[in-house]
Amino acid sequence: MEESPLHQFELHPWVPMSIGGVDISINKAVVFMWVVIAVASVCMVMAGSSRKLVPGKLQSLAEMMVEFIRNMILETMGKDGMRFFPLVATLFVFILFSNYIGLIPGTYTVTSQIIVTAAFSFLVYGISLAVGFLLHGVKFLGILIPPGTPGWLVPLMIPIEIISQIARPISLAVRLFANMTAGHVMLAVLFGLTVGGGVLIGWLPFVFTVAIYGLEFGIAFIQAYIFTILTCVYLGDAFHLHGHEEHAH
Amino acid sequence: MPQFESEFFSSLIFWEVISFGILLFVLYKYAFPGILSALEEREKKIKDSLDQAEQHRSEAERRLKDYEAKLSAAGKEAEAILAAAKERAQRLLDENEQRMTTEAERIKGEATRAIEQERRRAIQDIRAQTTEMALMVAEKVVQRSLTDTDHCKFADEALDALSKSYQR
Repeated sequence: MEESPLHQFELHPWVPMSIGGVDISINKAVVFMWVVIAVASVCMVMAGSSRKLVPGKLQSLAEMMVEFIRNMILETMGKDGMRFFPLVATLFVFILFSNYIGLIPGTYTVTSQIIVTAAFSFLVYGISLAVGFLLHGVKFLGILIPPGTPGWLVPLMIPIEIISQIARPISLAVRLFANMTAGHVMLAVLFGLTVGGGVLIGWLPFVFTVAIYGLEFGIAFIQAYIFTILTCVYLGDAFHLHGHEEHAH
Repeated sequence: MPQFESEFFSSLIFWEVISFGILLFVLYKYAFPGILSALEEREKKIKDSLDQAEQHRSEAERRLKDYEAKLSAAGKEAEAILAAAKERAQRLLDENEQRMTTEAERIKGEATRAIEQERRRAIQDIRAQTTEMALMVAEKVVQRSLTDTDHCKFADEALDALSKSYQR
């Protein structure tokens, strides 16, 4: 029986629930969100409680991750940005664990749901806007006019910059969702071919399945990294208005 | 695509917010402080160790300079001592030589004087003996041709002369 490669993303309400008419049924994605936060919590708390001067493997890994995020924040936002460390680090941990747990066959990749990534990206973008307006007031609207723009170009630049600003959360959400979805679709297609091809020719797509699976391991990390660094960049833009223009897309 | 079926959006957003909130709380409360403090502790420890190493290094350098200075001072002192000893040895040598020369001169002078004295005395002795022998020969020659009175006369004369020469 040939399965659709998109079948894996389908959700079915397991435990129907609702609050005030809003459906909050528990489904596979929700369960795996719990798995993600449970695993992440256990790993990070264990790593955080050992506090050895010469760290063990888990502590090393967690410290490497924390150090990595800290450097990311210091590079993009400077020392003041450390206020956002818990948010940015949690975001990174959540996405990283989602991506990796999703790679285990039979599980569900939470980040392959557009609504999940969109919620994160709009949260991040909303915070960056809030920070911008809180720190700079109305002057924050100056973000729509890049420094050095000649006066006569301003009417043209403002719409362009508005579009680029709107593109930020959308691209952030779509990038992660599309990468996760595409990877899993590709794995499903290749594995479908392996099963369908039989012993004679099936080994070829199987080799590719293994190779792509290895690639997905890299992508799982890279996408978590990209999401986090862009979060830092957007927050940094709001922090230092026109401080340094970075458009990593 | 199944991901665009909006019927699950509300429950996914709801549970995502809850899950993310819980994770944020747990990590913020129990994981990050420990990890960050461990990192900072290690950073501090490494920095302290480096500082200490630097301090030890400068201390060692200072000591090395000290020792070098001391060593060169000791070298100079040894040189000075050696030079002084050489000078003193030279002086002693010179003094000795001078003393030896003077001593030799003195001994030579004394010997010369003694030789001269001896020579003079020998000459005197020889003269005295020669006179005596001449007298004796003369006596014998004269004895045969002279009379007793002459004898007496000549004897007296000779005795006079002799006594005169002795007196002189």
